[in-house]
Amino acid sequence: MNENPAIQLKNLSKRFGSLTAVDGVDLTIAPGEVVALLGPNGAGKSTTIDLALGLANPTTGTASLFGDDPRTAIVEGRVGAMLQGGALMPTMTVAQSVALVASVHRHPLSVAEALERARCTEIAKQKVSKLSGGQMQRARFAVAVVSNPDLLILDEPTAAMDVEARRLFWQSMQEFTAAGRTVVFATHYLDEADTYADRIVMLAAGRVVADGTPAEVKAVVSGRRIRVTFDRTWDAALAAALENMPGVRSVEARGSQATIVTDDSDATLRSLLVAYDDAHDIEVTAHTMDDAFLALTSKSTSSTTSSRTSNATPATTPANGVRA
Amino acid sequence: MSIAYIRLESFRQLKNARLLIFSLAVPLVMLFAFGGSFGGSGQIDQTTHLPWIVVTTLQMAAYGAMIAALSQSFNIVTERSIGWNRQLRITPLSGTGYLISKVVTAMALAIFSILVVVAVSVLSFHPHLTVGAWAAAIVGIWLGVIPFALIGILIGQFAKPEYAQPLFMVCFMGLSLLGGLWVPLQIFPQWVSNVAQVVPSYWLNRLGQMGARLDGDWLTPAIVLVAWAVAFGAFIIWRYRRDAARS
Repeated sequence: MNENPAIQLKNLSKRFGSLTAVDGVDLTIAPGEVVALLGPNGAGKSTTIDLALGLANPTTGTASLFGDDPRTAIVEGRVGAMLQGGALMPTMTVAQSVALVASVHRHPLSVAEALERARCTEIAKQKVSKLSGGQMQRARFAVAVVSNPDLLILDEPTAAMDVEARRLFWQSMQEFTAAGRTVVFATHYLDEADTYADRIVMLAAGRVVADGTPAEVKAVVSGRRIRVTFDRTWDAALAAALENMPGVRSVEARGSQATIVTDDSDATLRSLLVAYDDAHDIEVTAHTMDDAFLALTSKSTSSTTSSRTSNATPATTPANGVRA
Repeated sequence: MSIAYIRLESFRQLKNARLLIFSLAVPLVMLFAFGGSFGGSGQIDQTTHLPWIVVTTLQMAAYGAMIAALSQSFNIVTERSIGWNRQLRITPLSGTGYLISKVVTAMALAIFSILVVVAVSVLSFHPHLTVGAWAAAIVGIWLGVIPFALIGILIGQFAKPEYAQPLFMVCFMGLSLLGGLWVPLQIFPQWVSNVAQVVPSYWLNRLGQMGARLDGDWLTPAIVLVAWAVAFGAFIIWRYRRDAARS
């Protein structure tokens, strides 16, 4: 059996002039895994994918697919991809596009089968220029699977899709992964990563900031933020007391106002109100993924690697969620 | 190399009616305008000693072939701007294979355009020329188109969508003028004609005439056209390698 990882990135970096798009990424994805690359826009997801596919040359580091140079794996037809800015020609029909790509592969699926797998049979004869956003993505999926690949890389596959189209898309994806194939998809929807991936790799500012099961990563990403004002002046003792309250991850103060990030806002609030009767103007908001990204990025400057074996644990502070 | 891909790609474009009208309409209209008014009664051109209608037919065939080959640039620009070429990069199709498919397609469109112009002329004006001479003229023009297919690819590789059209026009008009496709070079001083011989479009027309007369020195055009083809080809491959990354 082939024990080579489907994807192996070692110390991968890419700089465009002064901008570092990918900054020392180490990542190993085993055959059969379904992995979400989660991150905000500009996190380096697309560039990482380009590097993994050999479409861009890394500034440092190496990328290999199935233990080989990416190009070798592509030539063998083991890799299919839906890229950002990789669209179909508007003058062709869906079936023609699939047939054209199939014609360059050595052992492609039949055009009809690729269309069926991507739920494109009814739109096969339609011109690409006439497709809706969701239909377009399905057509691109048909093109990506026509080589019958072992590894599928999808860059924001459900962008421009409505809820129903998204459901249909993931349904066809699950048939594909059920056969034990590897899928890596980039997304900025946490719920999508959570529902369809069995592993989430979070990227921010070109680095891997968290890597683990959806439950583990969600613990880092989720949480509540309590904003509270005190009548007393802020001091270190107060900060320490707040940090020791149940569920609290971090405390930040500005003047007499504190922002508490907590995993269990109910428990924190109970203790807070009991301990401090001068606490007022309390506001509880959901800790958004953007907040989590920000927190993780600002504290991840020393982090280098993240791998499957040293998963992010449900963290007490975001910084601890980032494992070196 | 994928023969199946090249076949699908060139047939796809041959079926693109808009492109065909674009490369055929102007040469055909001009064939009837000039050929009909000056060459309809069998006058002989003094420079080439060919029937005037044959000279005009070959000129228009060359013209149409040149447009057909250069117009490949629009296709490539579209493919690049849409990202279709990125999609192709994650297939076994090599960079060389992609470029060869474009050359083959350009050459297929060119021969189609040449054949239509010649056929229309033969059916409408019945010029006096043997089948062999026509065949040699057609092959001559067709070989002469190779540098233009490469120029078309180069424009396609370099131009942003909004600049493809002007660049096409500059190359097309400049080469037509310098190569004497519009104004006979005899009206210029001798040195202009000498210089014009390094321009590929000069030979595009001359090769047709030489073919029609079934004589002439083939060495000079062969050297000039091969030199251009090699130079453009090297430039194209260099550019293709640089273009690999998404910027």
